[in-house]
Amino acid sequence: MAYTGKILRINLSTGKATTEPLNERWAHDYLGGKGLSIKYLFEELAPGIDPLSPDNKLVLMTGPTTGTIVPNSGKLAVAAKSPATGTILDCSIGGRFAPELKYAGYDAAIIEGKSKVPVYLVVEDDKVELRSAAKLWGKGAHETEYILQDILDDFVTMVIGPAGENLLPMACINSELYRQAGRGGIGAVMGSKNLKAVAVKGSGGVKIPNIRKFSATMNKIKREDTMTDVNMWAYSDGTPMIVDLCQTTGILPTRNFQEGTFEQYEQINSEAVKAVRKAKKACFACPLACGNYVQKGKATVEGPEYETLALCSSNCGISDLEAVIEFNRLCDDYGLDTISTGNAVAFAMEMTEKGLHDFGIRFGDIENYLKMPALMANREGVGADLALGVRTMAAKYGGTEFAMAVKGLEMPGYEPRGSWAMGLAYGTSDRGACHMRAWPVSVEAFGDIDPFTIESKAELVKGMQDNNATKFCVILCDFWALSNERIAEILSLVLDRTMTVEELARIGDRVYNVARLFNEREGFDRKDDYLPDRIFTEKLTTGATAGKLLPREEYEKMLTEYYRLRGWDDNGKITIAKKKELGL
Amino acid sequence: MKALVFHAEKCIGCKLCQLACSAQNEGEFNPRLARLKITSHYTRNGFDVRGQTCDFGMGCVDICPVDAIVEKNGRLSFKEELCTDCALCVDNCPNQVIVKKEKGIGICVQCKSCTNWCPTEALTFEEVNK
Repeated sequence: MAYTGKILRINLSTGKATTEPLNERWAHDYLGGKGLSIKYLFEELAPGIDPLSPDNKLVLMTGPTTGTIVPNSGKLAVAAKSPATGTILDCSIGGRFAPELKYAGYDAAIIEGKSKVPVYLVVEDDKVELRSAAKLWGKGAHETEYILQDILDDFVTMVIGPAGENLLPMACINSELYRQAGRGGIGAVMGSKNLKAVAVKGSGGVKIPNIRKFSATMNKIKREDTMTDVNMWAYSDGTPMIVDLCQTTGILPTRNFQEGTFEQYEQINSEAVKAVRKAKKACFACPLACGNYVQKGKATVEGPEYETLALCSSNCGISDLEAVIEFNRLCDDYGLDTISTGNAVAFAMEMTEKGLHDFGIRFGDIENYLKMPALMANREGVGADLALGVRTMAAKYGGTEFAMAVKGLEMPGYEPRGSWAMGLAYGTSDRGACHMRAWPVSVEAFGDIDPFTIESKAELVKGMQDNNATKFCVILCDFWALSNERIAEILSLVLDRTMTVEELARIGDRVYNVARLFNEREGFDRKDDYLPDRIFTEKLTTGATAGKLLPREEYEKMLTEYYRLRGWDDNGKITIAKKKELGL
Repeated sequence: MKALVFHAEKCIGCKLCQLACSAQNEGEFNPRLARLKITSHYTRNGFDVRGQTCDFGMGCVDICPVDAIVEKNGRLSFKEELCTDCALCVDNCPNQVIVKKEKGIGICVQCKSCTNWCPTEALTFEEVNK
């Protein structure tokens, strides 16, 4: 049973919960996770709705391998229209919420409407209940989860912090304290519905044909395909390993992307993180355990992940690891995405240093840096401005050329001037600047492919986007470097049909197109697929990327080529022929 | 005598052991159906890792009034046809790793699915002194 065949729909306006059959046709075409949640939203959301209105919907979507022993299958897709960008938004969250939802009997939960008062949702098998969140509203995400641990016996929870309640465009959803559906303001969608938390517990099991043989096959895959030298960086180091790679290749965002190297990188790299590590922590069904539980001085967190180290450390000119760990914990507790938050702080720092607007904070100013998460989440003082995100801050005070965002979503930790395909990946990602749709730095900056040419980059990015889209449909963690042959093999055992690599490629392409179609319907086209001017006009001056920029005309060529490969016209619109081909 | 031993410091909390156990012994995946309990989560008091496994204490064999649980050659086995569903074994297992089912119970039969799956050797099958 890859699917339970049942969707739980909760209308917060009426307080009613209903169940309905999973749309099997869509499940066939989109599998689950990212693709299926986007398909539901594309069909159910009217164009032009306000993402923070009751008209938006929050979709929690599992996939066909969720709840099984398939390695790295513990993720959940969380999707809605993004309040940060106005695009489609799907996030993936680890931990163990996804399997629990499936054990409760549901492939997905679709949450719509808006509650009159703060509530939290409790799902235990067939029992679905909305309870008052009066005593939880205003509390940190961590305290909220602790209280729910006290009230509920062995449930898994997803919660928002004050940032979500206050509708920040960088508000995230947390689970197990340190796992996040991080980007695009997904937490604000929850907050806009007056929904503080969702708790789930399931007693049902997931059955697979020939389950013992299936388990033996998966154990072989775990040994031979998951726990390999290529993948074990996750266990030995986790994402902090990327600090040294980015430093060496000159793509470590530093002082709001003014440079690509950080002189004090050794204070925030993997060796530094490992020195304060207390334990390793995995998501459900993951043998790789990338999570690092660390403690330094009084500061403790599961993290900091590479993105946090890049955006909240080097990009803010902060080299004190203890301060970064504390900043990370504060962001998690207030319910803030560290990528967008680090960017907002760094932008404020550069604006202040350049004398364009005084936000009262400069690069390396630890004292004020540590005050920012609370000020932002509560929209107090300068925090009220930072809480707008860099695009709106720039619209208000200037600095548009170095407001490091695409479509309003702040940029992750890879400098595109030192990895040109990464620039294209940011520009063409379905939710704004994102490193999870495609991660070409792995073969460009960190591999053998010349990062400073556009040669064959459109093809590279499209291929990676399609592969990752497929992974996020299954839904598998993108940290497991695995082939489509392997995914097809696993799905053929789980689904009641034979999956092929050709069909997987079609699914990835279809998912990327339905996401684009959603955005097209919202008015997005070529004009929105550009990077901030800094990338096109300012040369980096240090390290391996000294003297480098990404020439605008080269980017234009790469973008046009990418559209051509996608079957889109020069303005980035999906052609009729392409729509027909994919049955859209 | 050999029994399951849990090494908390090596555990990553992935639940693969419990998934393997539930698949092998119950024919479906859900860690709650497993005959061992491993929890790894954050509490107010910090990061908390706990493991409960069958340590072959034989309390269940002794307490069963109808001899539905027997030990033979260093392994436990359960005879469902004798079980009266009194649940004395479930309630008295010091490690709480006997699973109450609709009919009968599930006990660790040392199938080693869990140790075969554990990616970090946090679960081992070792000689223990009794």
